[in-house]
Amino acid sequence: MQEFELVLSVATPGELAGTDLSPYDAACLGSPYCRRVEGNYAEALDLLPEAVSRLHAAGKKAYVASPATPREADLPHVGRLVDAAAAAGADAMEIHNMGVLRILREKGRPLPAHMGAYANVYTHLAAGVMREAGAVRVRPNAEVSLPEMGTIAREGRVEVELLVHGKIPLGVTDRCFLLTEPEETDPKCPKACREEHWLASRQWVLKSVGKGVLSGRDMCMLEHLPRLARDGFRVFRVEGLYESAAYRSEIGAVYREALSRAAAGGEYRVEGRWTDAVLRHSAKGLCNGYYFGTAGRKYVGTVLQDRNPEV
Amino acid sequence: MAELLASGGSMEMVRAAFESGADAVYVGAKGWSRRRAQYEMDDPRIVEAAKYARSVGKILRVAFNTLPASAEVPLFLAKTDALYAEGVRDFILTDPGLMMALKNRHPDTILHASVGCTIINVQDALFYKEAGASQIVAECRMGKETMRKIKEEAGVGLEVLVHATTCYTLLGRCTMSSYTRHEHRVDAAGKDHFPGSPNRGGLCYRVCLTDWDQVGPDGEIEAAGVTLPNPAFFLADDIPDLIDIGVDTIKIQGREYSVALVGEMVRFYRELIDACVRDRASFRIGPWKERMARIVAERDAERREKTAGLIEESVAEDTLSLDPRLKPRVSP
Repeated sequence: MQEFELVLSVATPGELAGTDLSPYDAACLGSPYCRRVEGNYAEALDLLPEAVSRLHAAGKKAYVASPATPREADLPHVGRLVDAAAAAGADAMEIHNMGVLRILREKGRPLPAHMGAYANVYTHLAAGVMREAGAVRVRPNAEVSLPEMGTIAREGRVEVELLVHGKIPLGVTDRCFLLTEPEETDPKCPKACREEHWLASRQWVLKSVGKGVLSGRDMCMLEHLPRLARDGFRVFRVEGLYESAAYRSEIGAVYREALSRAAAGGEYRVEGRWTDAVLRHSAKGLCNGYYFGTAGRKYVGTVLQDRNPEV
Repeated sequence: MAELLASGGSMEMVRAAFESGADAVYVGAKGWSRRRAQYEMDDPRIVEAAKYARSVGKILRVAFNTLPASAEVPLFLAKTDALYAEGVRDFILTDPGLMMALKNRHPDTILHASVGCTIINVQDALFYKEAGASQIVAECRMGKETMRKIKEEAGVGLEVLVHATTCYTLLGRCTMSSYTRHEHRVDAAGKDHFPGSPNRGGLCYRVCLTDWDQVGPDGEIEAAGVTLPNPAFFLADDIPDLIDIGVDTIKIQGREYSVALVGEMVRFYRELIDACVRDRASFRIGPWKERMARIVAERDAERREKTAGLIEESVAEDTLSLDPRLKPRVSP
């Protein structure tokens, strides 16, 4: 049986509480979207040692997210974050911004870099430049298709991580769309992004998390896992940010079982209990279009293709 | 003195921009720049534009600033080799891997890191300098303190957009358009134009500019008809500060606008910059405001019309052929 790694993103101790981590091999701690998220592991550096130790004690790897859009004024914090993550024994740092990658390199690469979804990795050449700067893993941009990802892994000589389930990151900014006043004075901050907000227009639904725009539909690769295993992909992400503990726990359990079966290489079929869990937690439907070269919101497949409540 | 860089969406626009006072003009290689094909140029036209630029003692920059597929790297190298052989030396790129590849192949090329790189801090600027860029474009909302710091510490040229759109998200980090509609159109040379992806093919459907409802968890409308902010800006007040900071290039975006409007914008900035440099101490922006307001109104009218058309396109049926290599099965 081929080995694989299932990674969960989780921003805060509050999000971690109640989440069953047993299906996962690793957790990426912290939100890359906003430094003001309460309890953000990427901001509250004193929380890192305990969280990393807890994950290691459970036999899991601990990665630490860095801010996706650090302005110049944020860079001193980023430097401290790198130091704190390394001191806590984290296994890697997730990086979206090339300046942050350079800071890590200048510090002597105290821990490996995993390039995140906003790092805009589209080619094997870009992956190679990042590898030379300290990256060992990349998550290509959402728009990159599965065949392209294979090329990036092979010719860029990096490990490629795939989002297999959850909201697709579509955009990031440093201005919070949910606030009307500056974030320092608006009483809605930091509560607003803990609430659920959607953006709807025509046939489209997106999820707004303040400084980020996510897909309304959930990426779902459940029926394609045997192909991913055959293609040699080994690292898979479940996007747990801005989701419930039940979502993280139940989706993780589905993918642990499904990936184990796919990796074994035998007969594979999507179980009813898997689809029940996936549909229960996907309020706006399922998608996976980018991986197959179509619009991101589309669903490509034969098992769950008619389960999109919002067209 | 800061260089004035203008857009060249056609040969006619290239000539108009130079005649109106631009020091340099950028054009997009067809299929390879952050605009749709109708505002890009094929290779013979680029060569013609480069020769014209040299004949008037000015610079033509060629944008290859989309993020291609790995399989298209040989095409990129062949195309830039051909342009290099014709005397083109100035290129605008986004992918750091392509930057390094081109610089290694032709060390005397001059590479600018595109606005698509989303450069927001000094360390970003240094990263792209190490990848081969001699100049970087500042992200549209970068503050002047960061610009000053880049000039002081990064040892790299700095380019600032004075006419552009900001994007709702950070420019270069958005895939909202291709989430709604994304296709493949492969041209005769084998280049995929990725319609619907501004990062990959240049065509953005500007879905952020349609009316959105903000909806709560139970479907209740929290705010109706909200617009995701993506204003077009036209800076004039900042020009004296940009000159003081030592900005190397002041850039006017706008390949999709009419030739007449681009000419008018270039003349405005040329005269404003010259007046400011001529007598910085007594320069006042006030008298320029009325003329600026007229240009902005004209620009906004052209933009509104184009945006409405793009949003309609985004909801049209997918009519272009899909990449046969991917063989997708799409739900109805």
